[in-house]
Amino acid sequence: MLLAKVRTLLAVHFAYMLEYRAEIFFWILGGLAPFFFMAAWSEAARQGYTPYSPLEYARYFFAVFVARQLAIVWANWTFSDWVRSGKLSFYLLQPLDPMWRLLADHLGERGVRFPVLAVIGAVFAALFPGALVWPGWGALALGLAASALAFLLSFFVAYSVGLLAFWLEDATEIFELWYVLVLFFSGMLAPLSLYPEAVQRVLLWTPFPHLVYLPASYWSGLEPADARGFAVLLVWTLVFFAVTRLLWRLGRRRYSAMGA
Amino acid sequence: MRYLRLLGIFWTAAAAARMEYRAAFVVAIFASLIETAGKLFGVYLFYSSGFELGGWPWQEALLVFGFAQLVDAFFLLFFVPNLRRISEMVQDGTLDFVLLKPVDSQFWVSVQKLDPVGLPYLLLGAALLGYAGWASGLEVGGWARLAFAGTGAIFLVYALAFLLATTSIWFVKIFNVVHFLSSLIWSAQYPVQAYARPFRIFLTFVLPVYFMTTAPAELALGRAAGVAPWAMFLVALALFGFSRAFWRFALRFYTSASS
Repeated sequence: MLLAKVRTLLAVHFAYMLEYRAEIFFWILGGLAPFFFMAAWSEAARQGYTPYSPLEYARYFFAVFVARQLAIVWANWTFSDWVRSGKLSFYLLQPLDPMWRLLADHLGERGVRFPVLAVIGAVFAALFPGALVWPGWGALALGLAASALAFLLSFFVAYSVGLLAFWLEDATEIFELWYVLVLFFSGMLAPLSLYPEAVQRVLLWTPFPHLVYLPASYWSGLEPADARGFAVLLVWTLVFFAVTRLLWRLGRRRYSAMGA
Repeated sequence: MRYLRLLGIFWTAAAAARMEYRAAFVVAIFASLIETAGKLFGVYLFYSSGFELGGWPWQEALLVFGFAQLVDAFFLLFFVPNLRRISEMVQDGTLDFVLLKPVDSQFWVSVQKLDPVGLPYLLLGAALLGYAGWASGLEVGGWARLAFAGTGAIFLVYALAFLLATTSIWFVKIFNVVHFLSSLIWSAQYPVQAYARPFRIFLTFVLPVYFMTTAPAELALGRAAGVAPWAMFLVALALFGFSRAFWRFALRFYTSASS
């Protein structure tokens, strides 16, 4: 019964997303930013200014690209749209927490994104021979596990911000703040090992480095991955899960649909 | 003249509407500070190891970075809200009303909106340019070229943004075009010479990133690079002309919502 529900939801949202192929294509193009950082760092490496080689940078930033692609979320945007436009009313009538619908939306989209990622990976491997090496089953699985957890955490953060729509007219900027912090402290600009040591120590306790740097470390093997990151990620995920539950309970009472 | 008056009307209305969300504006001030500081840190990371991005000294690289922030500010201030609006109007068919008005339609849809959230970014970007220009010891002529080239860069990015926005006549949704453009602006933070050769060529001839920030900085500094940086004005004009032609062409495919 439950399984059937899950399957239907995923299938429906996969089909939805297929309609937006062109969109997703542009979106992935927009996600190419790590390759620019790669280009700059490998040039610095070529001139001998950093501890890693150009190929190591290429490997690392490709892993960063994949980690970011797998953790992309837009729950904040969709949910606040539901609240504002009153679409939420329809979903409230169904015996299904809208959170699951959103989650299915995200997971279904991953299904469309995967093949495109595979193509980009193939192109990358052809352009930078030797950059991609097989990380081994263990590292691959651990990286994927970290990536899955990172996705859940990002999802709950985005969903919390979306839930704020019950109180605020516009919470986009708040999510923007989170997004910017992730950008700077997740290891996308440069491997975190190049950051000042004090900064690294503080960052360990925040969710940011584990969102991207942890899976990327497993996949690229640039630096040994720090397994403590899993614990930190898990704690933050639970915290934000609790936040979404709380906001959902409080917010539902305030909801008066458009025009109702 | 009539167009200037229209601008005044559009912008006061847009700013007033937006000012209802004061909390968002306060958050935007924070976000702009953190974002600028973080990006600056990203540039600094290179210089901390003694490396110079493409052989640009720190204060001159800051000038490139300042141009990127300036372009980014205009992107948030005008381009994003208007791009969104265009695709909304295509979705619900209200583009009809614009097309019926005795005003150039491209002008109308390009400037109708303004999002004050971009203002703190604009101030920070201008301050950065000012500091970098002062630190690089610009003369009067240099400042004049800086202002001129900055205007050209903004114009160029506008034309590019509008060109992509026009595709919403077919694709309807535009969310990701915005995403794509902002990552393009990200790549413009560094002088293109900092990139490995194939990327440099790609960012000059395929994507006009070189003309967005590096060329203006070269012009302001008077870095000897021949006529190459001046080509940015040609590129900007060409893109603008193309965007106008493409908009006309796209409108032929626009069938309003109900017909």
